[in-house]
Amino acid sequence: MNTASALRAVYRPALRQQSPICDFLLPSFSHSQSRKQYASVTTSSASPKTEPAPETLNSQSAAKRRRPLSKEQQQFLDSALRVNQAGELAATLIYTHQTLPITRLHPHLRPLMHHMYSQEAGHFSTFNAMLIRHRVRPTAMYPVWTAAASTLGWVTGLMGREAAMACTEAVETEIGGHYNGQVRVLLSWVKEMEEKGEEVGEEMRELVDTLKRIRDEELEHLDEAVGEGAKEARPYELLNRLIRSGCKGAIWISEKV
Amino acid sequence: MVNSKPCHAALKPSSCVRSKPCRRLYHSYEHERPPPFAPTESRILSAALSHVPTHGFATAALIQGARDAGYLDVSTNLFPTGPFSIVNYHLVTQRLALAKDAPSTNDTANNISENIRTLALRRLHANKPIIHRWQEALALLTTPAHLPTSLRELALLSDEFLFLAGSTDVTSTWYTNRAGLAVIYASAELYMTTDMSKDFVETEEFLTRRLAEGEKVKGLVGGVGAWAGMQAGGLVDGLRSKGIWI
Ligand SMILES: [Fe+2]
Ligand SMILES: [Fe+2]
Repeated sequence: MNTASALRAVYRPALRQQSPICDFLLPSFSHSQSRKQYASVTTSSASPKTEPAPETLNSQSAAKRRRPLSKEQQQFLDSALRVNQAGELAATLIYTHQTLPITRLHPHLRPLMHHMYSQEAGHFSTFNAMLIRHRVRPTAMYPVWTAAASTLGWVTGLMGREAAMACTEAVETEIGGHYNGQVRVLLSWVKEMEEKGEEVGEEMRELVDTLKRIRDEELEHLDEAVGEGAKEARPYELLNRLIRSGCKGAIWISEKV
Repeated sequence: MVNSKPCHAALKPSSCVRSKPCRRLYHSYEHERPPPFAPTESRILSAALSHVPTHGFATAALIQGARDAGYLDVSTNLFPTGPFSIVNYHLVTQRLALAKDAPSTNDTANNISENIRTLALRRLHANKPIIHRWQEALALLTTPAHLPTSLRELALLSDEFLFLAGSTDVTSTWYTNRAGLAVIYASAELYMTTDMSKDFVETEEFLTRRLAEGEKVKGLVGGVGAWAGMQAGGLVDGLRSKGIWI
C-alpha cells in the first residue's frame, strides 16, 4: 500500500490535467475520481471463507440482465480486466523464465513448475478472450511488464529454489488479495441486484465464477510455494517486500494505463 | 422565446459526444447501448444533414434542419458547437451503422485484413452524398477546439473496424494497429475529396495500397521483435551450453 500511495502522491498533480486528446488511445487518468467509491481493487484480502454466497449465483436461469450496468461498474470492470490480463501475462513469463534453472537443480520440481505454468497460461488466455469480447484495451505498459516479469523470473530462478518460491509466494499473495478484492466488489453488486429484485445475468455470474476459480488456483500456488521452502529464502524479508511492492505498483499503474 | 423553453428540456443531450468525450467502457452483451443522441436532437441533426449538399456544413443547414423537424430557428442555439454538431452526428451515426451489417466474423475469421478493407470502404462510401462538402467538414474537424473530439471519434472508428473485422489482438500492438489504421483511413478520406474517378475507384485503390503497405510495416515491426527475442534466446542457450547456468 505504501508504494501505491507514494506513487499516487507524486503523480496526482500530473493526473489532474485532463488529457487533451482522445483518452481512448492515450491512457486516461481523468476518471479516477469517479471510481473512488470502490476504493482500490487491491485493498481487500479477507479470507474467502467469509465471502457471501448469494443464491442467485447458483441459479440456472439463462435470463439476461435487463438494466445496464452503471458507468462506474463498467469502468471498474474495464480496469479490473485490464489489470488481470497484465498480471497473468507477468505470471506466465515469470514461470517460463524460472523453469529451466530451477528444474535443472531440482528435477523433482518439474511437475509443479509445469502445473503452475499451465494454470497461468490458462488464466492468461481466459483474460485475453475477455478483453477481446468486452472491448477492453490492454495496458499501455504491456512491453514494460513483459520485460520486468521476464527479468524477475530469470533473476529469482538463478537465485535458486527458495528465491523462486519466495517470488511465487510474494506474487501470489498480492494477486490472490487482488482477485479477492474484485470478487468482493462483484458480490456486493450481486447482492444489491438481488435486493432490488433484478436479474443478475449470465455474464455477471460467469465472471464471478471465473474470478473465484482463478483466485483459488492462485492461492494454491501460494501454498505450494511456501511448502517448497519459500520462507527459507535469504534475504526473505527484503525479497518479499520488494516483489510485493512491485506488484502493487504494477497493479496500480495497469488499472489506469 | 417562450416557445423555445420546451425545446430546452426535449433537447437535453443524452450523449457525451458534445464537448467532453466519454470514456470507452467495458462492453456488455446483455443490453442495448443507449442511443448516442436524444430523439429530438437526432431529428434536427438528421434533417440538417439532408440540407448539407445544398447549404454545406453551415448554420443555414442547421436552421433548415430545425424547421424541418418542426422547431423554431432559435432552437439551433441549443447546439453550442454549431455546424460541427452536424459533422459529429454524421461521424457517430455512420460509425455505429457499420455494426449493422458487418462481415460475419465466424466464416471469415482468417481474413481480418480483407474484413478491415471492406469495412473501411463501406465507411468511405457513406461519405458519397456529401463528398463535395466534406472538405468543409475536415476544416471544422481540425480546428483546435474540435480536435480532441475529432481524434477521439477517429480512434473509435478505428477500434470499430478492428473489432468488427474480428481482430483478436490484445498485446502491445493493440495500440499501433489502431493508430496505424486511423492514419490510413483519414488519409483515404482526404484523398476521396479530390477523387473524380467513377464510383471512387481511385480511392479504393488508394485504400487497398495503403492497407497492404501497413501490413508490410506491421510484419516488419513484429519481425524485429521476434528477431531480438531469438537473438537473446540464442545467447542464453549458447552460454548454457558452455556450462554457464543462466
Ligand atoms: Fe494466474
Ligand atoms: Fe499464480
